[in-house]
Amino acid sequence: MSSDTLTAGHPEGQRLDKRRFEWGSSVFLLPAGILIAGVFVYAVIYSFYIGLTNLSLLGPTAVAYNFTGTANLKRLVNDPFFLHSLWITFIFVFGSGVVGATVIGLALAVLMQKALAPIRLITGAVAMIAFMLPPVTIAIVWYAASVPGGTFARIFGNPHSDPLFSAPLFFVSAANTWSLAGLAMLMFVAALRNIPRDITEAATIERAGAVRRFFTITLPLLKPTIVTSALLMTLLSLGNFTIVWLMTGGGPGTATTILPVYSYQQGFQFNHLGYGALLGNVMLIITAIFGVAYVIMARGPRRQKGKPA
Amino acid sequence: MTTAAQAAPAAADFQGLTRVAVRRVTAPAVLGNLILAGIAVLFALPLLWLVLASVDKHASGAIAIPHFTLSNFSSSLSAGRGTSLLISLELALIATTVATVTGTLAAYAFSRRHIPWKGGLLLFVLFLSGVPISVIIIPMYQIFSQAGWLSVVPTAIFIGITGLPFEIWMIKNFIDAVPTELEEAARVENVSTMTILRRVVVPLAAPGIGAAAIYGFVNAWGAFLIPLVLISNSAQQPGAVTVYSFISSTGVNYGEIAAFSILYSLPVVALYLAMGRWFRGGFVLGGALK
Repeated sequence: MSSDTLTAGHPEGQRLDKRRFEWGSSVFLLPAGILIAGVFVYAVIYSFYIGLTNLSLLGPTAVAYNFTGTANLKRLVNDPFFLHSLWITFIFVFGSGVVGATVIGLALAVLMQKALAPIRLITGAVAMIAFMLPPVTIAIVWYAASVPGGTFARIFGNPHSDPLFSAPLFFVSAANTWSLAGLAMLMFVAALRNIPRDITEAATIERAGAVRRFFTITLPLLKPTIVTSALLMTLLSLGNFTIVWLMTGGGPGTATTILPVYSYQQGFQFNHLGYGALLGNVMLIITAIFGVAYVIMARGPRRQKGKPA
Repeated sequence: MTTAAQAAPAAADFQGLTRVAVRRVTAPAVLGNLILAGIAVLFALPLLWLVLASVDKHASGAIAIPHFTLSNFSSSLSAGRGTSLLISLELALIATTVATVTGTLAAYAFSRRHIPWKGGLLLFVLFLSGVPISVIIIPMYQIFSQAGWLSVVPTAIFIGITGLPFEIWMIKNFIDAVPTELEEAARVENVSTMTILRRVVVPLAAPGIGAAAIYGFVNAWGAFLIPLVLISNSAQQPGAVTVYSFISSTGVNYGEIAAFSILYSLPVVALYLAMGRWFRGGFVLGGALK
C-alpha cells in the first residue's frame, strides 16, 4: 500500500522503496572491473582456448598455431608424467598445507595459551617472521639448510649426505609448512579467543583434565576454523611455484614436479605453451573446487543473518 | 633493572603464598612449554642461519659461529644486483598505486551503492584472490608477447592486478566501518561524490587503505614467477629473480646470498611490523581472511 502512494507521488512513476543502480556507480567500478576482467576473465577464457592448440614458445607454431581439438586432451590422459605430477601435488598440498601447516598452527596457538610469556612471545615472533618473509627468501634458507654440509645434514650426523637429494619432497613440503604455519596460528589464536571461558571453566570444575577439555570442548568449537584454515592452506600451497622451483627445480628427476612446475616446464622449457596452458586449466579447475568451498566456509557465520546484501 | 630489583624482595615476601596464588607447575604445563620451545627452536634454525651466514666470511649451508665480516652485504649488491632492488621498488610502487587507487574506488561503490548481484560479485572477488598466478601465466605471456609488453611497467601493472581482488575486499571491509552520517552531511551541502570520497571517506578509512596498500606492496615485492616470465630483458629483473641467479650459478657463495636475502626481505618485514603496530597485533590479516 505504502509503495503505491510513493509511486503515485513521483511524477516519473519510479518506485522509491527499492534502491536502484545509479549509473554514477560505474565510474567507481569500471577501472577495477576492466582490470580484473582483462586479466582474470579474459586470460582464463584465452587459456582454455590456447590449451586446445599447438601453440609453442619457439618455431613455426609460435606464430601460425592451429586449433587441434582434443589432441592435447588425449595427450593429457595418456601422459604418465601428468598423473605422477598430480599425485606429487596431492602429497605436497595435503602433507604440507592441509595437515602440516594446520596442525602446527593449531598446536602453536593452543600451547601458547598456557605458555610462559617469554616462550610464547619468541615462538609467536619466529612463526610470524617465517610467514612474512618473501617466498624467494624462504626457498633460500631451506635450500641452504638441506644441501650437503648444510644444517640438516649436520643434524642427521653425516655432513656429506644430501638431504635435499634423498628426500626432496619432504624438504620442499617442510619449507611450505614453515612459511604457512604462522598464518594458521593467527587464525587459531583469533578463534581460541572467541571460545567462551565459562564453558572451559565449567569443565574444569567438573574435573575434566586439560587433554579431555581440548578434545571435547576446544576442538569441536574450532571445527569451522580448522576447515577454513585447511582450505586456505590448500589454495596457498596449490599455486606454490616459487619455493619448489627455487629449491629443486622440480627434481631430482621428477620427484617434486608439482603441477605449477610441470606446467611451467612444458610451457617455457619444452616450448609446448599449448599443453602447458592445458595443465594450467587443470590446476584452475582444482583451485575452483577448493576456492568455492573456501568462499562458502568464509561467509558461513554471516549467512545466519540472512542473504548478504 | 630497577623494577626487577624491586620485584625480587616482594616475591620473597609472598613466597609462602606462591604455591596457591601463582600457577602451579604441573606435568602438562611443563610438557606444553617444552613442546612449544622445541617447535620454536626448529622454526628459528633457518632464520638463525640467515643472520649468521650473512656476516660470515666463510659461510656454508650450516649454522656456524661466523668469522665476522660485513663485506657480504656490499659485495652482494655488486654486479647490478643493487639495481635489481631498485627495479623491485619500481615494480612494487606501480603495482601498489594501480591496485590501491582502483581498489578504493571499487570498494567505495561496493560499500555504499546499490549494485545488482553485489553479494555474488563480492564472493567472486574473494574467490579471485585465491587463484594462483601459475594458472594464468601462460596466457598472460602470450598476451604480453603479442602486444609487445614484455617489460617492466606492463608487468608491474599486471602484478598490481593480481593483488587487486584482495585489496578491494580489505578496503571494502574498512569503508563499511566508516559511519555514513558525515557523508550525508556533506551531501546536504551539495559536495560532489568524488570530493566526499577524497575528503571524508579516504581519510577516515586511511588505516585500512594503508593496510591494503602494504599488502599490495608485499605481494608485488615478493613476485617471482611473473617477472621471471614477463620481463624479457634480464638486466631489468627485480631482486626476487636476482636471488635465483645466486643459486643457479656454480659455486654458491652462501654469505652473499644470505646478505642479499636479508637486504631483500627487510622492507617486507618492516612493512608488516609497521602494519602490526598500527593495529596492535595481527587483526588485519586475521580479520580480513576470516
